[in-house]
Amino acid sequence: MENLVISVTDAIALINQTLDYAFPTLVIEGEVASFKVNQGKFVFFDIKDDTGTLGCFMMVFQLRMPIEDGMRVKVVVTPKLTAWGKFSLTVKEIQPVGEGSLKRAFELLKEKLDKEGLFAPERKRPLPSLPRRIAVISSTQAAGYADFVRLLNERWGGVHVDVAHVQVQGFEAPKQIIRAVNYFNQQEELPEIIVIIRGGGSADDLSAFNDEFLVRAIAASRVPTVVGVGHEVDESLADLAADVRAATPSHAAQIIVPDKNDVIRAARHEVVRISNVVDGAVTELSSRTRRVLTDALRSVEERFARVADLLASKQTMLAAYDPNAVLARGYALVRGATTIGGTIEIEQAKRFIEAEVKHVREK
Amino acid sequence: MSEKNSETVANKLARLSELVAWFESDDFVLEDAVAQFKEAQKLAEDIEHDLSELKNEIVVLKKKFDEE
Repeated sequence: MENLVISVTDAIALINQTLDYAFPTLVIEGEVASFKVNQGKFVFFDIKDDTGTLGCFMMVFQLRMPIEDGMRVKVVVTPKLTAWGKFSLTVKEIQPVGEGSLKRAFELLKEKLDKEGLFAPERKRPLPSLPRRIAVISSTQAAGYADFVRLLNERWGGVHVDVAHVQVQGFEAPKQIIRAVNYFNQQEELPEIIVIIRGGGSADDLSAFNDEFLVRAIAASRVPTVVGVGHEVDESLADLAADVRAATPSHAAQIIVPDKNDVIRAARHEVVRISNVVDGAVTELSSRTRRVLTDALRSVEERFARVADLLASKQTMLAAYDPNAVLARGYALVRGATTIGGTIEIEQAKRFIEAEVKHVREK
Repeated sequence: MSEKNSETVANKLARLSELVAWFESDDFVLEDAVAQFKEAQKLAEDIEHDLSELKNEIVVLKKKFDEE
């Protein structure tokens, strides 16, 4: 080896080849310093700890979350010696780690995307009330997925569910979820809802759902989206970009389909309610009929009373003309020839008298 | 098959809502109420039956999403 003389370029290439063979990729965690973007395209920064510093390089389009000095990050890198003899790490992936850095990156990206209107309420679309075809993006091994499927099956039936099994944490997770979102958006027969779910985890575990490209993919989805990630207290940017945010995967199932027991109860209740309407109508009709009959009866009774009064008055009148009543008052009826010597009959109230006419005198 | 059944449930729910609306509208007449009520009662029974029978169809795609 000592007798081998090579050019500087070859030496650099040989060193790089050795580095590539020995360390094809390294994952390094440290604090960001001297972060800068040149010409809007090239990103340079140092990653350091208490005693060491390494220079890093990447392209700006590879940044999936905002990075700034002081943030703790994890980088996936390839070590490289540049043509100028400077040792540098070419960054393939970068992700903030630790609660403080993640929170800062979250706030920065939230502010940026909010300004663009990605989270605006007017962008939110309603979900179909009884979907027949839905797409689920999750890890099928995750507890959150099992909760979702269990609750979906308990609540409703007849739904065709296509499941895209993806990683839901780590560097690869956002890319896989984006591919799944795009896949479902490109289907000939679109699902009615895309549901993205993941159970609870640490801030690092859930950070995939604060990936800028993923948030944009969710916001751009043609199909309405529901995102249910983590627990109720966890808020991700994917949640904010979704049409509907579910607090948990189970809550996502509750949002998407109604509870069949509630629907059955409601259907029964409706039948009872309209049966009451019919009962009410029958009661009202019979009551109206009773009122009409009562009115008719009263009218007949009134007419009858009027006729009875008239009859009584006629009877009184007739009684006044009764000859017996006149005889009772002391008058008498006289029948027979009223010539002298003739016989006449005198009728009184209680007797008949025969008498002879002795004298007749004109009045 | 399951989609068809599910759609039928949706249709039945829609028809039940129509009937309930008729009972509460000015179009309501007692002469037609019995027939309409019987239809609503049958729909409610069918909905209950359908929902008890329907199962979801869950398909985990074979497609991998770990590469473009």
